[in-house]
Amino acid sequence: MIDVMTRRSPSPADGTSWLRSDRGEPVRRNLGLVGVLALLYLIGAVVRPDIFLDGGRLWSNELTVLTQAASIGVVTVGMTFVMISGGIDLSVGALLALASVWCTTVATQSYGPGVMILTALVVGTASGLVNGLLIAYGRLVPFIATLAMMVAARGLSQKISGKLTQIVKVDAINKIAVDRILGVPELVWIMLLVAALGWILLNRTTFGRRTVAIGGNAEAARLAGLNVRRHTVLIYMLSGLCCGIAAIMVTSLSNAGSSDHGNLYELSAIAAAIIGGTLLSGGRGTIVGSILGVVVFTQISNLFVIKNLQLEYQLIAQGAIIVAAVLIQQFRIGALRRPA
Amino acid sequence: MTERDDPAVLRLTGIVKTFPGVRALDGVDLEVRAGEVHCLLGQNGAGKSTLIKVLAGAHRPDAGQIWWRGETVTFADPQSAMSAGIATIYQELDLVDELSVAENIYLGHEPRTAGFVRRPAQRRAARDLLGRLGHPEIPAGRAVGRLSPAAKQIVSMARALSRRARLIVMDEPSAVLAHDEVANLFRVVRELTAQGIAVIYISHRLEEIREIGDRVTVLKDGATSAMNLPARTTPTRELVTRMTGRTIEYVFPERRDFTPSGPPLLAVEGLTRDGEFADVSLTVHPGEIVGIAGLVGAGRSELLETVYGARRARAGRVRLGGAVLRPGRVGAAVRAGLGLAPEERKSQALLLDEPVYRNATLATFARFARAGFTDSARERAEATRVAGSLQLVPADVRRPVRTLSGGNQQKVVLGRWLLGDTKLLLLDEPTRGVDVGARADLYGVIRSLAESGVGVLLVSSEVPEVLGLSDRVLVMREGRIVREAPAAQLDEDTVLDLVMAGSLREEEPS
Amino acid sequence: MKQDLSRRRLLLGGAAFGAGIVLTGCTSNATKEETDSGQTKLTGTGNDTPGKTVTIGFSAPAADHGWIRAITDNAKKQAALFKDVKLTQVDAGKDAPAQVAALQTLIQQKPDIIVLLPQDGAQLTATGKAAMDAGIPVVNLDREFSDASASRLLIKGDNYGMGLAAGHYIGTKLKGNTGAVIAEIAGIDNLPLTQERSRGFKDGLALYGLKVSHRVAAQFTVQSGQDVTANLLQAASKIDALWNHDDDQGVGVLAAVKQAGRKEFFMVGGAGSLDAMEHIKSGDSPLEATVTYPPTMSSSAIALARLIGQGKGLSDLVELQVPSEIVLASETITKDNVDKYLPLGFRS
Repeated sequence: MIDVMTRRSPSPADGTSWLRSDRGEPVRRNLGLVGVLALLYLIGAVVRPDIFLDGGRLWSNELTVLTQAASIGVVTVGMTFVMISGGIDLSVGALLALASVWCTTVATQSYGPGVMILTALVVGTASGLVNGLLIAYGRLVPFIATLAMMVAARGLSQKISGKLTQIVKVDAINKIAVDRILGVPELVWIMLLVAALGWILLNRTTFGRRTVAIGGNAEAARLAGLNVRRHTVLIYMLSGLCCGIAAIMVTSLSNAGSSDHGNLYELSAIAAAIIGGTLLSGGRGTIVGSILGVVVFTQISNLFVIKNLQLEYQLIAQGAIIVAAVLIQQFRIGALRRPA
Repeated sequence: MTERDDPAVLRLTGIVKTFPGVRALDGVDLEVRAGEVHCLLGQNGAGKSTLIKVLAGAHRPDAGQIWWRGETVTFADPQSAMSAGIATIYQELDLVDELSVAENIYLGHEPRTAGFVRRPAQRRAARDLLGRLGHPEIPAGRAVGRLSPAAKQIVSMARALSRRARLIVMDEPSAVLAHDEVANLFRVVRELTAQGIAVIYISHRLEEIREIGDRVTVLKDGATSAMNLPARTTPTRELVTRMTGRTIEYVFPERRDFTPSGPPLLAVEGLTRDGEFADVSLTVHPGEIVGIAGLVGAGRSELLETVYGARRARAGRVRLGGAVLRPGRVGAAVRAGLGLAPEERKSQALLLDEPVYRNATLATFARFARAGFTDSARERAEATRVAGSLQLVPADVRRPVRTLSGGNQQKVVLGRWLLGDTKLLLLDEPTRGVDVGARADLYGVIRSLAESGVGVLLVSSEVPEVLGLSDRVLVMREGRIVREAPAAQLDEDTVLDLVMAGSLREEEPS
Repeated sequence: MKQDLSRRRLLLGGAAFGAGIVLTGCTSNATKEETDSGQTKLTGTGNDTPGKTVTIGFSAPAADHGWIRAITDNAKKQAALFKDVKLTQVDAGKDAPAQVAALQTLIQQKPDIIVLLPQDGAQLTATGKAAMDAGIPVVNLDREFSDASASRLLIKGDNYGMGLAAGHYIGTKLKGNTGAVIAEIAGIDNLPLTQERSRGFKDGLALYGLKVSHRVAAQFTVQSGQDVTANLLQAASKIDALWNHDDDQGVGVLAAVKQAGRKEFFMVGGAGSLDAMEHIKSGDSPLEATVTYPPTMSSSAIALARLIGQGKGLSDLVELQVPSEIVLASETITKDNVDKYLPLGFRS
């Protein structure tokens, strides 16, 4: 009787089929995104051979793509944790704006770059704490709690800035977006660092294990003795911290703090995480996939700009990719869950 | 057989329904006449709910025939059963709280003109039906969510009538009702039968069957064990025997003599949660298996979860090894050495898409971790060791739990607590959804756990399981412990009588 | 930053006017401060002496764009300068329907005149008409009604003229270089004003035999300006000239240029923000010029509304009444004349 239930599933012990096994799942999905990227390069090589077939210009162009992807990549790392835990954070764009505005007021700027960076991180993390408390202890649905935060944080950032663009006069901040290490912009290094730390946190620590457990089955996690509420608060704080880091990056890139910063970042981050293989219902997701998702979207906008195409085509292409990715995801999960 | 010869409106012959690993129905016969109240009796797991679903068109039988008003029929889906005239009123009423009474009654078949619902006509018709059921006082325009459970049931019946049902199946309708509401329900049932409608009435309460029923069919282990017994005159003893006379041999470990010594491991004192259980006190000694027998709804699962800290008691306390546990704190209970295998394994215990070892270490991965970094290799090694001792099949702990059978999934849950320093294990329906062969395995595991010194508090609605596995038995009914005795001093009939609140009352207080 | 504030106070306190039509209508000390900011001085007309009190209802979108913000600020400051003007500001809400609702309330209060920058000209036309019918003259700011009878006076900037001026500036500098690479960074692409600007730019360049080789659209925000520019600079490895429609997003455009280390081209801005003017003055960036789209038009609107309310005409015009349409010319600010315009610059 027992064997009837189990015999027909593929055996993961069989080395050749490892890629096809459940544990190969994240790798497979990432291969798909790498394939999409390759396709985008192919398109680039056809429409702009002068860039895509010239090593030097391609390198320069791709560094630009990664630089433009960097801030949203950092936000998406935080979003990935939130989504794996079964939640959603709609406030990321607004928190980024709030942190950028707070850290670029005349008063904050007068204390220098250290205080500015610290301010952005503290503002982001504290706002995430509020999100987490509302959700874990106030029993608000994450969608509602972070929607409220999104509206309120935008409002607060407009209030603080007086709706003015706050130009950054502190060179050390502006230089972050200019300086390079080993020929690679610092912003790209920051994204890679955050992604690497996020990967370790998710896959190698008890924090990551709790995140997956809560998203996979919150009740089971609770009944196994995990402190679900406390962990939920920590996850939203992590997302807020990522927004704070990204706020510094955007502020440095645009030489200004503004309540307009991070516009629609919540949608971009959610979309990137989803095409990267993160389940909207929680329990599963990968950092590598999320970063690749961000790069795919950024590469698309880059292609459209360098080909002089209108924004609307870009939006259509992005929508199509989201739908395709989710369809593939559902199809795979369906196949996985169908009785053997 | 032609319609004229057959007095039965519904006749089932040799119905079989199997699910992977379980033969839920194994030859059910049933005969229901127009205008009668036909009672269906059987233990939990006897196949009643499967049978209801077959009648409602939700399951298609693998073998056997359904004769409906003289013709053999197959119901492809619930819709076709409904339009044939069979209405089912489930325990969890499937009404839409936000809609009005009238809208609920006519949900899916609203009177309409050119696509527009004729609301006044609908409301009039609804009032009419409620009147026929003797409840004109239920306002047709009120949202169903604001009605009492009893009134909701009336609405469900009105819905059945609106479909021109010839047969109404009622699954434990009295379970949610107060005493006087039950009387009212019976009055309505009589109204229905007076109109020639047949009623299949399912209940655990023998006294109800005596009062409302005409004939009784008894199910046992998925098959009919007695048909068409007269409801009023058949002796209780005979009904109980028909329900319990066993055919399946449960393989329990050999009964042992257990004499508790020393102070109790677990001491529950006066634990109370309003509406669930009241003033429950019990003890479990190290190495002892204490079983709680009782029906679903008797407060058993709630009691276990409260002991575990997943619910907060209004009064009373829980001591483990002499120390009082912080109420409402699962984490504290787990650290103190409690473990729970919950009733709903899939929704309450397992991460189905995660590998076995991560499920097994869900409560302990932090203990294997160093400075916050998990040690997956060690987790896998430990999980593999435990899987071996539990004879988990397949033994590969990297497999997703989803691919395991019910019995092996339960072993993963037990393994979770074996990995920790669990002193007391709370088991809620440990063999639910587990096939017969795998049960024996689990029984062996539970016993050997106890022999290693772990205390076990076990809840099961299967009386043989409680009696066969436990050293001491508590019988629970309607939130209270009504009897406590060593398992050796109780037999199945006695316990069954107690849990069903049948003829035997608490004449032997413990 | 502190200097900026004081400059702003000077600017706003001065009630500066848009470049095309210039009035006094100011208190005398303000006029003194502004003698060097290129305004015609009118004397002896009597328009600066207080008349009967005029209640002006004012409504403009509360967008977080520097230019729009300057519109509201200028109107308020201007009104404060007149002892005989009472300004009632009503919130324009989030969109055109909200503004319609707000205006209906305003009309009920019967102000003497309404100054209105619509969320959307076409959608607010009926409301303008309703006010006119109720005997309240309407001054339509910038975004034009679809029916001229819905307003007593239209004051608007010249989007086409902006593009034309930018094209003219670039054309003059690149004359004869027909292979020149010219890039354009537009604002929100589906707005009529963006299309007008681009049309003017194209026509202006055409006069010199030049054309746009790269065009991208940002969203009037700093971040979007940086983003599209970073990509644009990858698409075009060598650029001769760049026109950016909007100095607000220009902060991001300049940041991207700096980050890419590109210096081979010169750049023209749009609108005339303080930040842009400072860059032009100091010469620390490729930004050489900016073509104006002055938010001071709201100051003018308030002043003219007062005159309409008091039944007075413009002193330099023979006609006894204020004209019905005023189009502000777009001017080109360069290092040569930037000092004159600095007081008019708005903070983005």
